[in-house]
Amino acid sequence: MDLGVLMTYLIFGFPLILVPIIIGVGYIKRNYSMYLGVIAVFLSFLSALYVFYNYTLKGIIIQNNFNWFQGSGIYIPLGVIADNLSIIMSLMVSFVGFLIILFSVGYMAEDPRRHIFFGEMVLFTASMLGLVLSSSILMLFIFWELVGLCSYLLIGFWYYKPNAAAAAKKAFIVTRVGDVFFIAGIGAAFYYSGGQLLISGLNAIPYAWERTIVSLLLFGGAIGKSAQFPLHVWIPDAMEGPTTVSALIHAATMVTAGVYLVARTYPIFTPESLSVVLFIGVFTVILSGLLGLVVNDIKRILAYSTISQIGYMVSALGLGLGSASIAFSIYQLESHAFFKALLFLSAGSILHALLNVRDVNKMGGLWKKMPITITSMFIGALALSGFPLTAGYFSKDSIITASYNVNLLAWIFLTIGALLTSLYTFRLFFKIALGKPKSYAAEHAHESGILMLIPIIILAIFSLIFGIFQGGFYSFLGYHPESFSVLDLAPVTMMLIGLGVAYWLYGRENDIPDKIAKGLGFLYKFVKNKFYLDVLYTNVIAERAVLGLSAVSDATERRVIDGFVNAWGDVVKNAGSSLRKLQTGVAKQYVVMIISGLILMLLLIRILMVMGVLH
Amino acid sequence: MFGLQYLLLILTILLLISILVRKSARIITLLTGIITILFVILNNPTYTSFNYGSLSILYMSFRLVFIASVIIILIGIVEIFVSARFNARSGFYVFTQFLGMSLVILFTTNDFLLFYIAWEMVLIPTFFMIGIWGGPNKDYAAMKFFIYTHVGSVFMLLAIFTMYFQEGATNFSMYYLMSNLNSIPLAYQSFVLFGFALAFLIKLPSVPLHTWLPDAYVEAPYEGTVIISSLLSKMGAFGLLFIFINLFQSSSYYGSTLIPWILVALGIISLIYSALVALYQKDMKRMMSYASIGHMSFITIATGGFLILGSGLYATLLYYGAVFQIISHGLIISLIFSTVGSVEKSTGTRNIVSMGGLARKVPFLSFILLASFLASVAIPGFSGFVGEISVLIGSYGFLKIYFVFIMIGIVLTASYHIYTLQRTIFGPYNEYLGNIMENRNEILASLILLIPIIVLGIYPSLILHFFNISQIGMGVFK
Repeated sequence: MDLGVLMTYLIFGFPLILVPIIIGVGYIKRNYSMYLGVIAVFLSFLSALYVFYNYTLKGIIIQNNFNWFQGSGIYIPLGVIADNLSIIMSLMVSFVGFLIILFSVGYMAEDPRRHIFFGEMVLFTASMLGLVLSSSILMLFIFWELVGLCSYLLIGFWYYKPNAAAAAKKAFIVTRVGDVFFIAGIGAAFYYSGGQLLISGLNAIPYAWERTIVSLLLFGGAIGKSAQFPLHVWIPDAMEGPTTVSALIHAATMVTAGVYLVARTYPIFTPESLSVVLFIGVFTVILSGLLGLVVNDIKRILAYSTISQIGYMVSALGLGLGSASIAFSIYQLESHAFFKALLFLSAGSILHALLNVRDVNKMGGLWKKMPITITSMFIGALALSGFPLTAGYFSKDSIITASYNVNLLAWIFLTIGALLTSLYTFRLFFKIALGKPKSYAAEHAHESGILMLIPIIILAIFSLIFGIFQGGFYSFLGYHPESFSVLDLAPVTMMLIGLGVAYWLYGRENDIPDKIAKGLGFLYKFVKNKFYLDVLYTNVIAERAVLGLSAVSDATERRVIDGFVNAWGDVVKNAGSSLRKLQTGVAKQYVVMIISGLILMLLLIRILMVMGVLH
Repeated sequence: MFGLQYLLLILTILLLISILVRKSARIITLLTGIITILFVILNNPTYTSFNYGSLSILYMSFRLVFIASVIIILIGIVEIFVSARFNARSGFYVFTQFLGMSLVILFTTNDFLLFYIAWEMVLIPTFFMIGIWGGPNKDYAAMKFFIYTHVGSVFMLLAIFTMYFQEGATNFSMYYLMSNLNSIPLAYQSFVLFGFALAFLIKLPSVPLHTWLPDAYVEAPYEGTVIISSLLSKMGAFGLLFIFINLFQSSSYYGSTLIPWILVALGIISLIYSALVALYQKDMKRMMSYASIGHMSFITIATGGFLILGSGLYATLLYYGAVFQIISHGLIISLIFSTVGSVEKSTGTRNIVSMGGLARKVPFLSFILLASFLASVAIPGFSGFVGEISVLIGSYGFLKIYFVFIMIGIVLTASYHIYTLQRTIFGPYNEYLGNIMENRNEILASLILLIPIIVLGIYPSLILHFFNISQIGMGVFK
């Protein structure tokens, strides 16, 4: 096998093979599994680097497929492809994953089950790497499911917390709803393309309406995984897991998988399906931006910000600008990966110091207590809200600017989204960093250890300087703009307004936010209750509809179907016990019966002869 | 390479030895399992036939096609697992061996009379397994199981006789009876198809002919449940995939799609209905017996789909998926029931709501339970995925918009598994359970099943290279 192909397989092969070893070693010495986990992901980063250089120097797209159902006569291909898209993704996933796992070494150092944690984290990263490198849609789905499985296990890692167990269940089932659409999409693609499972073979789907069906079904899977409306409900609950898990889910793995899927299968998206994509993306940006304004849990605010940023990526894809769309959204994806990982890791560092108090109203004044963490978080917040010259500015504002020429309505909403982004980001930041400490834990906060700070600092640097790679990044993804159009001022203005309003509301001691909440009344309640979507899913659909149906089925099962079976048994039994009474043993009765039987029989024969049946 | 007659001879001798020397029955069951697997491996399983002439009206001809070889390997694995994992009475192992032998005859014979005899022979050990070692309601369950499945067998027997007398045959050769099916009046053909379908659908089982199953599975001892669930349901699956498909294709109904669509509808109803009922169960063993119905419904769907499509890539994929589902369901459901058995042994209950947080006290047992449930949900990496995804991908081609029902079924299936996991192994530890322990040997024995499940899930070609679609046609029975 060619070295390049081998290295491509090893990008996810290294961590995948090492997972059992990491867990096994943990039973002998817990800490070794942590180091081994870091090494495993670092090895895959190195392999990804090798493949990257191989690609840039020689310009060869590595593709290797093999038949999973070998010997059966059907071709079910699995394999890897290392083109620009998958290389750039695998570089990001392995690099950010490596930093997060490095951070976990400090963060999870005292957990008694850390060997399992590291095993699952490495499996998580490996599955995501496998996902981005897949050349076949089936292999993509296999890793897609493994990513979902790992997130289930990791969200429920602290299984003894009832919330964590419930959140894990919710994440699994909600993403499963998306996954069945994906399965249907694979089935449809396989059928319409005449037995193709390779992603490059999807172009063989002849008719536009067939492409629309396939692409919308695949996008249904992406909605579940990327937590877009209406399947975004699992993400906030998923914050019950350890913070590093949230960082990994939100930055490198899991939620970006949906965006990647759409980008990867972009050629089969027709204008009809792209308009659905655009609508979902824009709608999600606004919806989650509003939600981010009303929650008080530090991790949940970040979770909603992820949903809204992913919304930007999806909108970028929905604009339908070809390679430019892919370049915009993947660039946003990667810069988001850096600053979201940064924000989550800083949040993790804060929670580590505050003994897992997650309510932002109980923090405050932390800038003085933990200067490095909070400064890094400040950089992350700037990048997230798109402050000029940070990573988020280049990535997000490009999308907003590009949308102006495609769909004015989308542009308006995306610009409002920028305002919301900066509002909820700085609401979070000011509540944490400024003012006075509002709880005992916040008063006694302290800076985290050096092992946890290194990844944070590296990510902060990347969040600051990632903008300079914009041109190179775009051309790497095959988008060569004639000239970099001047980014329009609207989003920046909106962002600055948001920043100012956030400071006015939350940067100082005052009670304006409460007054606004009271003044809005019903509207506030509506948003605070997450638009009653959770109520709809959990209480109406799951508890009333499904459980009700299930109760009815159970009753049908016991009463009707089984009742019918038992009734037959009873008929036979009763017939036996009543006919038994004829056996009296009295000879006279038998004689009467014989004679009456004989008469009846002769009568019957006579009747039949009259009717002409017998002769 | 040794022929079938030697295998049957060896199995009979071993059965006699274990009847005479009862203490050795457990070891001999292990040996039986190994010999059975060896038989398949040594007879190159790309279609081997053994012809022994004819004995009066019995047509003594046997063949080892890929479905049969897959199921016989499964019989071997289950026999090995049951003898390694459970410490049952020796009489139980005698019954197990008897059952294994009957099944080997059933899956290899080319003679409908022998097929029927083996079909009935299977009932005897199963009846006693439930009736002797079963739970509190064992008499009811054993009787229900026996009579219910016997009703199906009677119709099958009548169908066989219909073919025999209508065609004027001289023996019960499958090839002769099936290939002349279209020469008899259409009403008789319908009855033949009906009789076979009824017997197979009861055994599979498919809703609404399934109510013997939860009672039988729940009341049987765990070792019995493992055997019944993994092996007996394969009789129905084998019947549908091998006998019924050929029967249908040689009947005058070939080409019409009504009967296949009924099968597909039954499969989809089974999938959704079993998931809905399972969602409402508090008893883990009963819940998992509905899960078994859900798994087998994929085989009904695949059979129907295969008959609708007739031939081609999608039909082939459906067929392979169904055969793969046979072995993976056998392995997974055995693992599930034996693990539920371990859980009940350590906690003293199998009521889902009275558990909770088992992962804290019994981490390895919880891991096995988690793995078996995930395998049952068909997560990639476990063998269940290969079978299910093949059937699902293949079935889009004829289901189209109705695929949405399968999607609902899959989500519901996932939800009751995940719900159960949340209530049993996750969550805070239920202190009422006291200080529970796990049995290390039981967990090690579970690996006998878990390892093949994972290996087949990653590398399905191991089994798939036996497969040869050309073996579905009538030629195999010659």
